[in-house]
Amino acid sequence: MKVITGTTAECLSVQELSVHYGGVQAVSSIDFTVEPGQSVGIIGANGAGKTSTLKALMGLVPRSNGSIRLGDKDLTRVRARDMVRHGIGYVPEGRHVFPGLTVEKNLLLGAYSRAWDKDTHRQLEEIYTLFPVLKDMRERLAGAMSGGQQQMLAIGRALMTRPRLLVLDEPSMGLSPKLVGNILDVLLRLREEGLSLLLVEQNAKLTFGVTSHCIVMENGQVAMRGTSTQLSHDPRVREVYLGL
Amino acid sequence: MRTRIATVAAIVVAAWVLPYGLGSYTIHIVNIALIYALLAIGMGLAMGISGQINLAQVAFFGVGAYSVAILTTHYGYGFWAAALLAVLATVVIGLFVGIPALRMQSHYLGIVTLGLALGFINWITNAHISGGADGISGVPGPTLPGIDLSSEYLYYYLEAVVFGLALVFGLFVVRTSLGRRLRAMRDDSLAAGAMGAEIPLLRMTAFLLASLYGGLAGVLYSGLIRYVAPETFSIANMFILLAMVIIGGRRSLVGCVVGAIGLTLVREWLSDFSTYAQLGYGVVVVLMVVFAPTGLAGVPARLRGVYERRRGRESARAELRPFTPYSPIERHDTADVLLTVEGVTKQFRGLRALNEVSLAVNEGEIRGIVGPNGSGKTTLFNVISGFYRATAGTVRFAGSDTTTARPYVLSLAGLSRTFQNLRLFGQLTVRENILVALDRSRTHTIWQYAVWQPGVWAHERRLRAQADEVLERFGLGDFADADPTALPYGIQRRIEIARAMAARPRLLLLDEPAAGLNGEEVQQLIRIVRSIRDSGTTVILIEHNMGLVMSLCEKVTVLSSGNVIAEGTPQQVVTAPEVIEAYLGESDLAELGMDTPEAADQPDRAKEATS
Amino acid sequence: MQDTLQTLVSGLSLGAVYALVAMGFSLVYRTMGLVNFAHADIAMIGAYAASTFYLTAKLPFAVAMVTAIVVTGAIGLVIERVLRPLENKDFDLMLIGTIGFGIVLQAVAILIWGTTGRAVPSPLHAAPLDIFGIRVRTYDLLVMAVAAIAVVALAFFLSRTKRGAAMQAVAMDHEAATAVGINVGRSNALAFAIGAGLAALAGGLVGPMLYVDASLGGALGIKGFAAAMLGGFGSIQGAVVGGVAIGVLDSYAAGHFQGYSVLVTFLVFTVAIMIRPTGIFGERTVSRA
Repeated sequence: MKVITGTTAECLSVQELSVHYGGVQAVSSIDFTVEPGQSVGIIGANGAGKTSTLKALMGLVPRSNGSIRLGDKDLTRVRARDMVRHGIGYVPEGRHVFPGLTVEKNLLLGAYSRAWDKDTHRQLEEIYTLFPVLKDMRERLAGAMSGGQQQMLAIGRALMTRPRLLVLDEPSMGLSPKLVGNILDVLLRLREEGLSLLLVEQNAKLTFGVTSHCIVMENGQVAMRGTSTQLSHDPRVREVYLGL
Repeated sequence: MRTRIATVAAIVVAAWVLPYGLGSYTIHIVNIALIYALLAIGMGLAMGISGQINLAQVAFFGVGAYSVAILTTHYGYGFWAAALLAVLATVVIGLFVGIPALRMQSHYLGIVTLGLALGFINWITNAHISGGADGISGVPGPTLPGIDLSSEYLYYYLEAVVFGLALVFGLFVVRTSLGRRLRAMRDDSLAAGAMGAEIPLLRMTAFLLASLYGGLAGVLYSGLIRYVAPETFSIANMFILLAMVIIGGRRSLVGCVVGAIGLTLVREWLSDFSTYAQLGYGVVVVLMVVFAPTGLAGVPARLRGVYERRRGRESARAELRPFTPYSPIERHDTADVLLTVEGVTKQFRGLRALNEVSLAVNEGEIRGIVGPNGSGKTTLFNVISGFYRATAGTVRFAGSDTTTARPYVLSLAGLSRTFQNLRLFGQLTVRENILVALDRSRTHTIWQYAVWQPGVWAHERRLRAQADEVLERFGLGDFADADPTALPYGIQRRIEIARAMAARPRLLLLDEPAAGLNGEEVQQLIRIVRSIRDSGTTVILIEHNMGLVMSLCEKVTVLSSGNVIAEGTPQQVVTAPEVIEAYLGESDLAELGMDTPEAADQPDRAKEATS
Repeated sequence: MQDTLQTLVSGLSLGAVYALVAMGFSLVYRTMGLVNFAHADIAMIGAYAASTFYLTAKLPFAVAMVTAIVVTGAIGLVIERVLRPLENKDFDLMLIGTIGFGIVLQAVAILIWGTTGRAVPSPLHAAPLDIFGIRVRTYDLLVMAVAAIAVVALAFFLSRTKRGAAMQAVAMDHEAATAVGINVGRSNALAFAIGAGLAALAGGLVGPMLYVDASLGGALGIKGFAAAMLGGFGSIQGAVVGGVAIGVLDSYAAGHFQGYSVLVTFLVFTVAIMIRPTGIFGERTVSRA
């Protein structure tokens, strides 16, 4: 069964994206595109500007420059809260579920911009099919769940927004290897179903496993880019990020 | 310096001749204004300098005034004896009101202090001894041989002298060791504690200072008006006082004084329209908070900032200079254990962040702690440095059990640390940041402020000389007077290390010191950490950058999901199956053809950890 | 025994009012992290507005109350809009900003209604009930009933409606709330308006119990704050329990210490809050390094 119904992918194109915090440049003029149905990864060390790039894309931090287009729509001036209406779902770093609300409420809030009707509940069931553990815990408070379950919930919540593009910020953070494996399975499944993915990770192996193209960031800039296969065999990437 | 002396002299002369030009009513207003200025200084010291929301200042004022009135009229004390006892009583009450600050901060403290102020008003309005709602009249004024203090002109000089001394003392406190600690506590009480500031004592000190000034103001008020009644000490007046401090600028004592004198004069001038005036203060407070949070005192700096931006900064480019290594000390072959962590568990609600973690670090070692994000590394640092109390297990540092020690105790015992998300004191200059850590004197030596100020000065000069040495050593000389938060990230990281080292620690904890640094900066960092170790300081560092760990650390501890999964030399650790498992996970990834177990014999496998 | 019960009963109705104040205060605190020191003065404006609509405009009591709630809700929207730039930034500045608004509201009240204050007659004329020898005024029962309805309605709104869930979500994580499409600013404005409306409800109800003047806010507000703290900041059930606790404490102190009741109440409160700074239902937050 297909878990993400009624979505058609569109091309995301980001150009000359820059972010400043005070006088410090965190991201300087980054370009990338995510073609429909494609999965793109951004890897780099802590502080390289990966999360800032995503937050700027989402409008959660002010951009000092840059344009963002999804399909034929210009999203450059769209506010963070409206991104979701244009089809961009976001899974924040560190999960950020709503801890004091039940699992089901968390998921339903993913559908905040639509009326909560029969259709919403059908979608809820689809999410439960993808993550059976969430169904078992639907009445539990999200804050009482383990890190891995919270990550599933955060992804589920983002899927409830009916995204055409799913943006994930470090979904492997703080998870045991087994759970990282589960996340990988989920992402691969979403990719198979034709959802576009933009994945920011420190875990280069996970990223190369999920994505077709990657960007390597260093000091707020693109240090390298290419297909994931190319990059995973690039001697420099192997040395620095894979340790081979 | 010369212009400063000239300014002070001009102010003194102006204050001296002022009464000659004023009518008897105006001098009365000036006398009132000076009393409010004293109160405002006290308020500024507690709120602006120390960050303690104190809404009981008007009650301190009342305690001082009422004590004088009660002691003179009911018990027949002379004014001066009563004044002394009144100030003492106010300080005692002030310390009592300050006790809640040990347990709560910010708005909690605001509500509690406001409640206690309300309780005080309730008491004076009802108690027989305080004359109930009518108050106490016929308070005898102060007498001095040969000077008739019942004349408001001469009383002005008494007030001016007290006020002048109080202001100078206040400024002295703010600009020396004690005030710097108070300001550091205001900016970041956790970091201040980690630098050795005894937070509980400092909070009480803030209330001591606030009540001291409140008591003085109350005494002067009693002597001036010779009548006390509850309405002077109402909550409405408390908020007017707050307006004075906010409009003037809570972080500058001079600003507080300007606000107090200005608002008293405006209030008098608008006394026929007092309600409109009140409306005005309220509006100005709101506008100030939104548009000029630093108050009038902050306006010159803001204007200067705008001016400089317009002109485009042409000041000589400041640069980060290279680090000057410490002179190495001879290392002993038989290293003692400096830090032992034994079976430490840290449980948060629903989450076991550390699970029976044990490790021992020898003196003179550089220890690396690595592990995936969220594996408990920073939690471990927080337990070691006293920020968290372990749910179970013990921590021993330098031979004593420090499991339950507070951060400042550990700092004084020789443990120093940096923070993953930079915790510099934002409102202090770079030099002051260093000075806070350099200052190893205990807070209780503040008795010197009361009796031997030159001693404070001498200590201060020694510290400043040492601070300049530290700044030079770390190549930060050009930034000594800069605002740290406006500096580039790499420099802020350097300042954090310099600040931690200024405390001359035996053990230095570095939390991701290389995060966000570029290649060249990482190389400098490696040199700095080596030199720190060679100077005799043991180092433990949390790092993601595996290259850094490989080249620096003699021994590495690997954490995963709160458990120690491996420990040993970097080469041993990276070949441990548990580590490979933790970093690489299950076969899914192996299938991708990027990872083959045969590669395990290569020492470079360590760099798996960077993923 | 009789006396104790009588004290308890008279404490309950005032406690219900404190609970309403605390609830509005907690709602705003929980959703915006804003400690609204003007909350008390909003309650005072509500008391004045309700009494004016009731006494001067001769509207029925219930209609007067609703009108007052709408007026103060609008004031709440203005305050939220002005202080919005400080949200999620400097906590202490925001706190001082609301104190500034409190000063403004007091001045406005004096300009409109003068300094003399007014007594509001009870809208219910039924004789006090006698239950097992305890005198219960019918108006007190009305106050408790209205407060209970308000609690239930607020709880329903927060737990059963989309907007209510969104409001809680904003409180827990405003960035994640933004990412699912919630308009954080509008949600906060709504929370502030509801908070102000609750303050007005409290003020309007307390009118016939106490004397209405510009200092009413001070008396009502600080006890409402104390109630919120005692119950646990930001918790709705805490606000109710804290409100009743302060009401009963207050009533007991008034019975035993007469004129010194305020002093006694706040001393007891301070000791209680020292023992448990997070209040009864407060969450223990972990301070992160």
